[in-house]
Amino acid sequence: MSNSQYDVVIIGAGVSGNLIAKELGLAGKKVLILEAGPAIPDSREQYMENFYLALAKTPESPYPSLAGRTGPGVGTLPDPAVLPTPRATVLSIGGTPDVSHLIQSETAGVSGTTPDNQPEVRELQFSSTYERIGGGTAWHWLGSVPRLVPHDLTMKTTYDVFYDWPIAYSEMQRLWGLAESEIGVAASVAQQQPLQAAIGMTYPPGYQYPMGPIPSSVVDQTVSNGVSGMSVPGEGSEGGKEYSVFVTNTPAGRNSEPYQDRRVCAGNTNCIPICPIQAKWDPTVTLGDALNTGNVTVSYQSVATNIAVDGNNVTQIDYLKWSYDDKGNLQSTPASVSGTIYVAACHAIENAKLLLLSNGQKGIANTSDQVGRNLMDHVLYLAWALAPSQVWGYRGPLATGGIESLRDGEFRTNRAAFRMEIGNEGWNFACGDPYTTTLDFITGTNGSQLNPGATRLGGTALVNTLNDRLTRQFRFGLLLEQAPQPDNCVTIDQNNKDGLGIPRPHVDYGFDKYTLEGFRVAADTCSAIFQQMGAEEFTQPTVKPYPPDKYPDGKTMGPGDFNYEGKMYHMYGAGHIMGTHRMGTDPDTSVVDATQKSHDVQNLWIVGSGSFPTVATANPTLTIMALAFKSAEAIKAALGA
Amino acid sequence: MRRFATITLLVLAVACTKTETESSSTISIGDTAATSTTATTATTTTTATTTSTAPPPPAIVLSANIPGDVQEGSIPPGSDRNQKFAIAQGDFDIYSWNTFIALNWPPGPDGKGDPKKTIGQNGDNDTVWEHYRDVADVFLPGGAVPTWNGPEPNVPPECKADYTPGERIITQVGKTPNVLTVSEFSQPFNTGPLIDQNGVYTRYEILVNKPMFDYILSNSLYSKAGQKVFSGAVKFPCGVLGGAEGAIMVKSSWKIIDPSEKARFHTANVLVYTPASTNPKYGASCSRKTVGLVGFHIGHKTNLAPQWLWSTFEHIDNVPTEEDVAAGKLKAKYNYYNPKCNATDCPPNKVPPRPWNPTQVASFHSQIVRMNMFKGGSEFAFTSAAKHNAEALKLLVGVNPNSVWQNYELISTMWPTNPGNGLCTAAPSAPLGEPAPSFLANTTLETYIQGPPLAPNVSSNCIECHNNATMTTPVHSDFTYVLQRAK
Amino acid sequence: MSAALTGFQSSFLRPFLDPTNLSEVFYNFAVAQVGQTAMDNLLNTFRAIQKQPAQQIADTLLEVKIPTGKESSQAQLAQAIILMWYLGSWYPPPGTNGKQQVISSQAYTKSLVWNVAQSHPMGFSAFTFGYWSQPPAGLDAFGVNTGGGQ
Repeated sequence: MSNSQYDVVIIGAGVSGNLIAKELGLAGKKVLILEAGPAIPDSREQYMENFYLALAKTPESPYPSLAGRTGPGVGTLPDPAVLPTPRATVLSIGGTPDVSHLIQSETAGVSGTTPDNQPEVRELQFSSTYERIGGGTAWHWLGSVPRLVPHDLTMKTTYDVFYDWPIAYSEMQRLWGLAESEIGVAASVAQQQPLQAAIGMTYPPGYQYPMGPIPSSVVDQTVSNGVSGMSVPGEGSEGGKEYSVFVTNTPAGRNSEPYQDRRVCAGNTNCIPICPIQAKWDPTVTLGDALNTGNVTVSYQSVATNIAVDGNNVTQIDYLKWSYDDKGNLQSTPASVSGTIYVAACHAIENAKLLLLSNGQKGIANTSDQVGRNLMDHVLYLAWALAPSQVWGYRGPLATGGIESLRDGEFRTNRAAFRMEIGNEGWNFACGDPYTTTLDFITGTNGSQLNPGATRLGGTALVNTLNDRLTRQFRFGLLLEQAPQPDNCVTIDQNNKDGLGIPRPHVDYGFDKYTLEGFRVAADTCSAIFQQMGAEEFTQPTVKPYPPDKYPDGKTMGPGDFNYEGKMYHMYGAGHIMGTHRMGTDPDTSVVDATQKSHDVQNLWIVGSGSFPTVATANPTLTIMALAFKSAEAIKAALGA
Repeated sequence: MRRFATITLLVLAVACTKTETESSSTISIGDTAATSTTATTATTTTTATTTSTAPPPPAIVLSANIPGDVQEGSIPPGSDRNQKFAIAQGDFDIYSWNTFIALNWPPGPDGKGDPKKTIGQNGDNDTVWEHYRDVADVFLPGGAVPTWNGPEPNVPPECKADYTPGERIITQVGKTPNVLTVSEFSQPFNTGPLIDQNGVYTRYEILVNKPMFDYILSNSLYSKAGQKVFSGAVKFPCGVLGGAEGAIMVKSSWKIIDPSEKARFHTANVLVYTPASTNPKYGASCSRKTVGLVGFHIGHKTNLAPQWLWSTFEHIDNVPTEEDVAAGKLKAKYNYYNPKCNATDCPPNKVPPRPWNPTQVASFHSQIVRMNMFKGGSEFAFTSAAKHNAEALKLLVGVNPNSVWQNYELISTMWPTNPGNGLCTAAPSAPLGEPAPSFLANTTLETYIQGPPLAPNVSSNCIECHNNATMTTPVHSDFTYVLQRAK
Repeated sequence: MSAALTGFQSSFLRPFLDPTNLSEVFYNFAVAQVGQTAMDNLLNTFRAIQKQPAQQIADTLLEVKIPTGKESSQAQLAQAIILMWYLGSWYPPPGTNGKQQVISSQAYTKSLVWNVAQSHPMGFSAFTFGYWSQPPAGLDAFGVNTGGGQ
């Protein structure tokens, strides 16, 4: 493979990499994708079986080199130091380096103050995870594709905080249209209409989504009725302003009619971690199209180790091709490949790691010193409750509706906005239900807080009690905006390497007042909504991780817990890793331009959510693909297509 | 009727049970389900098993009559699970063979099996099902109204040169040009095509019988516009034992063969049409070929099977089983397996690499093995298929030792063990009818979802997958994917 | 016994023709974990009271009146049996060896807690598009014994 001439070499077969490969392949360009992980399997039978047999059905549970699944039963988490493609997993959050690929804090968050006397929390675990396999992380994306709102792109101009995106909203609308067609999005512009007054959401005149909307769930309808007429007040300088609270159907990348030869959603309630029938789009669909052009090749099990540059020009990608011999020993062979243009598309953490490792660890494309910095997530605040009457969760896609109306406002000068996702899966995310409550009422425990009396039941009494609790469970997941902070960063850990001898990412992470204030308001808003609905709230900060609880008394603060203004909170990652190679017009403060081309290296594109200068509150995958379309257009132009 | 009576009466039977039967502690966790009680209940509800008017037990017969439903034999009291399934699966495999024989019977002028002829009497023959309506002629461009036996409405321009005007597809006895389209080379999950040992793609074809066609026509489901205004549930008509035929759909898979191979296949002389494609990029083409039948699915909706009955047959030369491969017991030649290529050079059951272009001879040849999909509880499917294949073979060879039909074998029949109320309506607690066997695939049609591992909802299960079928609107289309072809 | 413990119709747990045969799979699995003697003891206790109403049987076998943590190992075996049916998994009773594990993929896709919730196992839906926008059918359409008998 070394020194074959390709037009483009792409590192990473995920959302961005596959889309760019498809667009370039269709234009007759020769493309090679280097994918670190194993090939896409011919069918998803093995992945589904992995999922069925997993005790902890985490996002990573179907996928290879999985933590916690070494034969039947609870296994030990594999040591990243022996794996060729270790990655961040849910079960390893807060773990020691023999368990966690990311080298980061193992304790609860530490509250403190900044030099200018603002509250902050440091030593938090970055809690979003990713995959390194053919098809990438979006195998297990939820499928929600709401668009950003206009002010999301102009935070500096509008709210005097953070940065503006170097792209106009009208341009993003064009790109989102392309992405929505590629993914196959089910939504109705008419249903989104109330958001125009609320948060400024607009569509080009006459725009139509590819498919009609996914129906709202009974949970959505119940919440919607429950908040009817409700509003929440602005704070501080906004005193007197009321923000209307109402439910909107969520645009979704899953089929509401046969599309792309894929089936219609059957409500398997399993979008994360894997849709059994591929009603939900995933990047393997786009890769299939890319391969059909005859111009795209994929080299699997090929881990890029170095982007070699000569001045401001990439000359080749060095990589390791790995495999296991018949004795089960990991082997690797060095190789390299060159092309005219190069694309780093391995998601925000691995992109940063690769850029920082390149050029003998001097780093490349980093005159701005922003590579790896401004690591952001949608920090997730989870709140859960029992509705006064049955809402029948555990049905339908994981989420079909949300409260979008609090995503924008003047308060964004001071504190994080949030998008409220309504979960259709009961307390599954919140406390591992229905398992926890079932175990509670059969064995007499109280992991769910629903069995304080340590009751044990059987027969019809058990059925009726469980039915009552399970069918009234529901939860909100609030996607909180996070400020870009230079000290939230990915760096190279010099002490810990993976099975191929490649240094692993070190992560420093925490929250500033902007996000902490967002947590405070998020918690209050959820409690107010529960109260309005007559629901009984059960949100609690410390959630026992599973498998075995590390904190036997259940009260000690653990990874992901932190204090703010006398209240304890727990943070989750939404799975949205962003910011580590942000875009901008100024090469001094940004890594890539509006097309995701490196400012410094003229034939290198660095793509994905790492390019987001701010994160707003919409799930990122739609925008990731939208930006990939823009990159593909720029690369085609650069190749003289 | 045996099974549904069991379901509705068992609760009462159990409530009245005074003592646990001897069998339960060995095969369940002390469950009081008394098999002897239920079997007794069942036999009293089947038609007179103890009097002289008892119907003969189900059997494979050479007949042009398409069974309207399965005929159920009785299960003796005290039968264990294996015995019960041996009888029950046997009933359905007998049904499948009788349906295969009747569908492949030579047709008379009215399209039904000609009672003056016998299947295979001259070696090969035209068949009843090949005069059913191809879905390409049901779901027409612009949603135009289809006809049951009008002329082929859309002869592609590329085929016109070789097509004799006025030839009809359905009603004409004898060889008629038929048109196979290339969109029919993809499989569930769009996993990939099946490429034979000559590098040529396998083609598929789907046809519907008149009751199914009539339902589509009378409800205007042949067009997107018609589907949009359809209200209520799609409910195809059910077959009745000794009565109405019910909806039948057939899916056939064809290999392009050399005329010298004709003696071993049911063949047709057809125009093989490939429509143009943008990605991969190739133009349309049409050429006349001799094709041999290698796979045959029958889907039939009946009173006892609101989730339909699913019978699948294969050519006996298609592939070795995984046991054959492990034991080195290989034939000299297969349709989709090269016995001279080892597992390292030719790893089995791999999807062909893209791009998929059926207009070119592929360098990749599919190396397909039949996986054991019945292990772990459905082994009764093996024994029943083997037994009934031997019986059918005897009958078919008895007609003519050169009958091409002796080269086809039943893989198995999937049937709902909980048939609902026995009158074409599923039980609410069993929308899928609890199918047996748990997994089933035809190596030419569900090539790449045979496991291992066998994962529910992904590995091939006719009823589970077809339950996801809808029209072009997301309305459940009653276990058929044909309606989503409407334009 | 499973019907009484789980609150489901026994015809649902063990139909006349049972493709997945979970009752036998679970029985064999439990015996392999805890031994034939422990299973026989539980079954004998059951047989002695099997004429009682189902709820009474369940309460007796599970010793629900005994405070949690003090119930007998036999009651804990009964708990493990319900958990097999409800969650498709084996949770080793205290004092036994064995790993917490999902018994099989079919045990998961037919696990009963989802029926109790009037839904379906996550990852295996037999329902059709849009079902989630309406309330589900009642518990009796999910195999639950709502008749109060056996």
